[in-house]
Amino acid sequence: MSMDITLVLLALFSAVGLVFTYLAVVERDLVKAVIFSAIQSTAYVAILYLLRAPDIVLVYLPVAVGLYPAAILFLIGKTEKVEEK
Amino acid sequence: MRKYVVLFSIVIATSVLAYLTTYLEAIGLIGLDTRYLAKLFLTFAYNPLARELTAISPEAVTSIVWDFRGIDTFYETAVFYMAIIAALAIYRGIGYPSIQSEKGLSIIVRVVTKLLIPINIAIAVSIAAHGHLTPGGGFQAGAALAVISVLLAVVFSASSFTKVGISLSKAIALRTAGLLAIAAVVFIPVVFSAFTGVQAYLMQNQVKVDSAFAFPAYIQDQLISGTLIWFNLAEFLAVSFGFFVIFMLLSLREDVVKEQLGEDHGH
Repeated sequence: MSMDITLVLLALFSAVGLVFTYLAVVERDLVKAVIFSAIQSTAYVAILYLLRAPDIVLVYLPVAVGLYPAAILFLIGKTEKVEEK
Repeated sequence: MRKYVVLFSIVIATSVLAYLTTYLEAIGLIGLDTRYLAKLFLTFAYNPLARELTAISPEAVTSIVWDFRGIDTFYETAVFYMAIIAALAIYRGIGYPSIQSEKGLSIIVRVVTKLLIPINIAIAVSIAAHGHLTPGGGFQAGAALAVISVLLAVVFSASSFTKVGISLSKAIALRTAGLLAIAAVVFIPVVFSAFTGVQAYLMQNQVKVDSAFAFPAYIQDQLISGTLIWFNLAEFLAVSFGFFVIFMLLSLREDVVKEQLGEDHGH
């Protein structure tokens, strides 16, 4: 029974991750794209936790939600905010 | 039309992967069965009865990362170290100004962040110091502490680094100290061997079949897992201040950098 719930949650978070990956790719406003990417990472954190990899959760959470978006935002700040066609 | 093709291919690919991983058991039955290799690691990660084979740590991941495949992890740390040297090379010759703009975010964000920073430090230190007992370790703790550098740069402005007493050279010195500490733990068995004549190997943790050398596994009945706690603490220092260096450099304002380089330097 708990196995079924795990699989359902895995499917749910995978779907959330997929949707926000798509949004991050098509979004032209790069700041918004970074935020979508961070939400996708949050979904992946949940997936990694459900797959029983708490060590990876601990490193993925600060890197993918904190450090990586921050680095990208610094770079956006030094270049342009909106992607051109 | 193309959108539907993309969507269709994603659905097909996901279904095939789901089928392979669940019904065909391509990567083993998820969560129900433990594979042979995993059984080996679980048996020997913490096993006081097999002292020549164990890493004497109940945390299987840390046992693998710093004992069973320790030299891999050492080179990973070296790669991270080199990456930051590349960043420092790009910003070479640029002094970190003590005062940049004083602008930060609003008072609400500042107060909340001020409350969060001590919690963040406590969590990072506990992840590092308990890395051989519970999920976590040096890199995880370093990444957790590095978030503070982002918070300082974004919420309080880049000049806050100077205010809390972190200079660029201090951060570089601390991360180098971390790497040197890892190297020291790696070489201690060899030095011990040279002085006493007892057989010992590079990066050795516990006793081996032909070597009586071992790092202490307990301090007053408290499990410290030999080398693992020292590797975790040193890696914590190296990684966290490595990230500090990167974010201190990234948060430098462009006009400050250009001013120091002069007009004729294309940067």
